[in-house]
Amino acid sequence: MFPKPAHAYLDPGTGSYVFQILIASVIGGTVVFKSGWSKIVELFRRKRKPSADEKDN
Amino acid sequence: MSSLGVNANPVLMKKITKLPGSFRDPSGFIFQKDSSVYRQVNTSYKSDYDKLMTTGLYKSLVDSDLLIAHKESSMKAPEPDMAYKIIKPELIPFISYPYEWSFSQLKAAALTTLDISLRALEHDMILKDATAFNIQFVNNKPILIDTLSFQEYENNKPWVAYKQFCQHFLAPLALMSYGDIRTLQLMRTNIDGIPLDLASTLLPKKSWLNLGIATHVHLHAKSQKKFADKHQTIKSSSRGISKTQLINILTNLRSTIEGLDWKVAKTEWGDYYKETNYTDKAFTHKQTLVKDIAKKIKPKQIWDLGANTGEFSITAAPYTKNVVALDIDPLAVERNFQSLNKIKIDNILPLIQDLTNPSPALGWHNKERMSLIERGPVDLVLALALIHHLAISNNLPLASIANFLHKITTNLVIEFVPKPDSQVQKMLISREDIFDKYTQVQFEKEFGKYFTTKAKHKITGSKRTLYWLKAK
Repeated sequence: MFPKPAHAYLDPGTGSYVFQILIASVIGGTVVFKSGWSKIVELFRRKRKPSADEKDN
Repeated sequence: MSSLGVNANPVLMKKITKLPGSFRDPSGFIFQKDSSVYRQVNTSYKSDYDKLMTTGLYKSLVDSDLLIAHKESSMKAPEPDMAYKIIKPELIPFISYPYEWSFSQLKAAALTTLDISLRALEHDMILKDATAFNIQFVNNKPILIDTLSFQEYENNKPWVAYKQFCQHFLAPLALMSYGDIRTLQLMRTNIDGIPLDLASTLLPKKSWLNLGIATHVHLHAKSQKKFADKHQTIKSSSRGISKTQLINILTNLRSTIEGLDWKVAKTEWGDYYKETNYTDKAFTHKQTLVKDIAKKIKPKQIWDLGANTGEFSITAAPYTKNVVALDIDPLAVERNFQSLNKIKIDNILPLIQDLTNPSPALGWHNKERMSLIERGPVDLVLALALIHHLAISNNLPLASIANFLHKITTNLVIEFVPKPDSQVQKMLISREDIFDKYTQVQFEKEFGKYFTTKAKHKITGSKRTLYWLKAK
């Protein structure tokens, strides 16, 4: 599945589209499940060295 | 994206004119004929339009003042080959743009957009775009003006407008809340909202502690970067997201935005009325004069320039359909907007506007967003306690000020604040007085080139004079 809705004129953006699928399992309405969230953070950290400012947080 | 305000240009009123601002969406377009605004719905949008109208979604949104009401029209379509229907939406009194809104206005617009999305999902539809330019303020409340923004919800599909929503609403609100209120002006330079990588760079580290911002701005930006220029199918995403998960994401965006605030700083202008040298007597006299003149003119629309928190907009409001209250200070505009909600006056629209650099025409062909001047002229402009800011603080020649004001109005109520006035003296403390020509005689001479004087009143208990001028 990929962002190609039949008559959408807006480009949803690949990164934005996929990102929703990634966060879908960790977002429960008004809360974000922290355990799952840290896994997502890891996903974006894995391929490069984490920068100093991210480490701080 | 669309705009539903009437352009008063008489050339446009005689024929059918496609209005700019709605050309990106192939579902239809807006056009103007005889000072009315219509929208052609194209056949490609037929099923979505019918679904909006027949599922009860349209009625539900219109009843809640969330979507602009429209009537179907029998007029001939400007592009009949593609036309399914012509609709006539209610007219918006004044088109405003997100870079002119205060924090709370943008926040209200964001929440309205999400509420509409959630309501649409109840009827198996979803917003196919989420631009802040589709929201306008009517009766002090945000309303969606693009009837063609809905499409059928398809199972397991993520929200196509998620990125746009974050760029148009969440990023500027987060930047204003965690950073600086002036970052709103990035909405001027970025026609499709603030890019998330830019927002993520500019936001302070502590914004990572807000899980909503960390997710929808920071990590979202990282995801965009990671997938940039990758066109291969992503296997892990094949499962899509369920409707419940989509509702959860929208609800989470909603609570993230609900939680954002502007910790109001005290600015130069915030306490203007408390800090001026106005006597109560002068203030009351000025109010009486403004009221009497407005009563006589019965203007359709008033622009109150330098409106501050809207005191004189409120004075004039009963005698006109709409007041647009413009001020340079975001805090004054914020307070004005919030107080109007409390006092239940609904025909005043407070907006941020720097008159020395008013909103320009923007976007494709310089026609997608109107300049301030293009949204006029009006039949009454109030310029109270303003001229010394333009002439002294900003070095603008009186002749040029007169020329500008003549361009935007037929009636001008202007207060001349002479040099001995304590407010002017305050301005001159820190600088050399190079303003030999800033005199009442010179004022009357320069404004006399563009206007005739209908009335002239000394304001009791002050050194100031109030003029009612009529454009030549």
